[in-house]
Amino acid sequence: MMLARVADSLYWIGRYVERAEHVARLSDVMLTATLDRAETAAQVARIALSAVGEATPDRVANPFESARGLALDRLEGNSVVTSLARARENARQVRDQITSETWERLNLVHLRLSGATASKSFNDGSSAFLHDIIADLHLFKGAADATMSHGEGWRFLLLGAHLERAQLIGRLLEVCFGRGVEQLDHPTLTAVLRMSCALEPYLRAYTADVRARPILEFLLLNAEFPRSIRFCTDEIEAHLSMLSRHAEAVHVGPERLAGRLKARLQYADMGEIERDGSHAFLEGVLAECGEIHRGVYDAFVAYPLEMRLPA
Amino acid sequence: MAQAAAANPPYDEMHAPDGSVRPHFAALARRLAALDPGELDERQRTLERFFLLQGITFTVYGAESTTERIIPTDLLPRIIPADEWAKIESGLIQRLQALNLFLADIYGERMILKDGVVPRELVLGAPSYRREMQGLYVPHQAYANVCGSDLIRQEDGAYAVLEDNLRVPSGVSYMLANREASKRTFPGTFRLAGVRQIDRYPDLLLSTLRSMVEWRPNPQVVVLTPGVYNSAYYEHAYLARLMGVPLVEGRDLVVHDNMVYMRTTTGLRRIDVIYRRVDDDFVDPLTFRRDSSLGVPGLFNAYRAGTVVMCNAPGTGVADDKAVYAYVPEIIRYYLGEEPILPNIETFLCREPSELSHVLANLDKLVVKAVGASGGYGMLIGPHATTAQREEFAEAIKADPANYIAQPTIQLSTAPCLIDGEVDTRHVDLRPFILSGEKITVTPGALTRVALRKGSLVVNSSQGGGSKDTWVLAETGADPS
Repeated sequence: MMLARVADSLYWIGRYVERAEHVARLSDVMLTATLDRAETAAQVARIALSAVGEATPDRVANPFESARGLALDRLEGNSVVTSLARARENARQVRDQITSETWERLNLVHLRLSGATASKSFNDGSSAFLHDIIADLHLFKGAADATMSHGEGWRFLLLGAHLERAQLIGRLLEVCFGRGVEQLDHPTLTAVLRMSCALEPYLRAYTADVRARPILEFLLLNAEFPRSIRFCTDEIEAHLSMLSRHAEAVHVGPERLAGRLKARLQYADMGEIERDGSHAFLEGVLAECGEIHRGVYDAFVAYPLEMRLPA
Repeated sequence: MAQAAAANPPYDEMHAPDGSVRPHFAALARRLAALDPGELDERQRTLERFFLLQGITFTVYGAESTTERIIPTDLLPRIIPADEWAKIESGLIQRLQALNLFLADIYGERMILKDGVVPRELVLGAPSYRREMQGLYVPHQAYANVCGSDLIRQEDGAYAVLEDNLRVPSGVSYMLANREASKRTFPGTFRLAGVRQIDRYPDLLLSTLRSMVEWRPNPQVVVLTPGVYNSAYYEHAYLARLMGVPLVEGRDLVVHDNMVYMRTTTGLRRIDVIYRRVDDDFVDPLTFRRDSSLGVPGLFNAYRAGTVVMCNAPGTGVADDKAVYAYVPEIIRYYLGEEPILPNIETFLCREPSELSHVLANLDKLVVKAVGASGGYGMLIGPHATTAQREEFAEAIKADPANYIAQPTIQLSTAPCLIDGEVDTRHVDLRPFILSGEKITVTPGALTRVALRKGSLVVNSSQGGGSKDTWVLAETGADPS
């Protein structure tokens, strides 16, 4: 049992932290790609910018400025600094629910990013700066895992993180392998793996055979890689079924949706997906993630009071 | 009296008038002498980083922007020997006992008004008087469950009560945080001094709150906060976390059939005790201020019906009203038949014509306070004010005399503080915290507030005040070497 408002905040902390990490990583990969051939650099920038916002020609042509905007622009809705400010604001509102160790990690990275020296640090070494943010966010997740009780609150935090991750990776895959996207070259495909933090695990699974089909298969259907959509839906389903176990009220919403999506990915066949078009499949997955998000709200947060009044 | 104050130097906590170090400060003085000043400065900075990281901050609302700041903490503890504390403790217990009886009386039979000890219109006309509380049963007659009284020390070293805070006193989280800080800074001195523990405060607070609903098994206690934008939000979250109870906002609560519920992930759950950190005016828009969005519609009716307890009770503010304050010694004599252990500061009520003329004639020597204001606002410190400021204030007093009281300028005692890396003296007051439920307990520690500007007497955190830890010693005369 926990306050509905608190569950909502924890869920959004999970989402915002995941989003911040993803955007930081995409910015980093985009900047690293500027060292490559111009066409590859532009291609990578286009993918990264489309995956988290809009790839206008102007932004694609200025990867350094674009990356700085994604990291530090407070007016940018998806920027790292915005997401972390929101995560921290939520954390402040549920300060009594998260451990000091967990709070400290989040507060620290927020203070560093919104401090007066952030812009200078970015200019002095953008890659190191972004790398440190990602490492700090890993510490945050580690602190949550190691110090918070693995009860309801922790599950809402992880539910948010995994749902966000499934949607972010889904969006990235849509941008790379969706309808009407031309074949990507080898360096770009490698960059896509980096954006998903998947390069090393992928190489171990498929050796250095970097091609579109196995990449799609790995990021969609792999059972063990924590950023594959299948892995995320397994987690979403597991957390939701535990959360529903706490609830006495009968609601079949989100956990049923999650169970169905999990089964769909578990029994999916790469050949079939290719035959029907990977775009249609990805679109379906993303739509179902959206439904799960709404289902969580209806079941746990914004339920109608009339249904829950004591007799 | 003001002239006398100017002639006498303030009482110094650490040094006797002859310059020698008082015995209970001896060990700290030796430690300070052995420390390199740069080292203290370094520790101060480490501490400030620690506070910022922990989010031990308060919010300052400015005209232009809103910022989070750490409360300036001074590393050097203020030390109180056991015999002094024994007197403070018994005085505070006596005072709160009397004030709770006073509240029970004025919201009940009103004997003290009938007997003419306190003027009827002073109580019934006070803005903090809540007619809605009339005739309501309050368990143990504990109206003010949490009280933070402000004590000062006069030139002769005697403690006196400057103000009682019976509404929603804050600062206890800083008392606890300051203790963490001074333990880190002076571990050896701390251990040897025999300092009394204060870390049971959250535990005692929880049992106090539970003692208000003894008939309910496993009562559900919550802390009600106005929300994250309140300047004391950190404290609300901190107390909820240390008590292990939910921190709720008005929008989390629902009243149905005169019972209070909170919205949880598994439906509605009944609440028994609300430790509310929301002012009376804002707790229930149906009963009090209609424009309040912080409160819970119907909460007061549920409270009246006895299905939920609010701590502190609504309407306690009438007992810490600045005009009622002048009568507290009489209140103590009336209910307890005892002489007050801790004296009041001499207070002139501008509502009395004779006292008004005295106040207007002596504005340059007096401190004038608006009855309804707190936090150091609406205050004139006569000796430090310009003629223009005094004239402006005189007009305000004449326009509404009942709204003002005046007190002689009292020197606050001074204590050593670390200012820009150097040890210097600053004025301090003392805010201990008293809990009253089934019984009354005083936590052996306090928030010592510091006026950081040299010579200043204003210690409020909203007006540039800081704070420091307060060591209450277990034994008298201990000089651990």
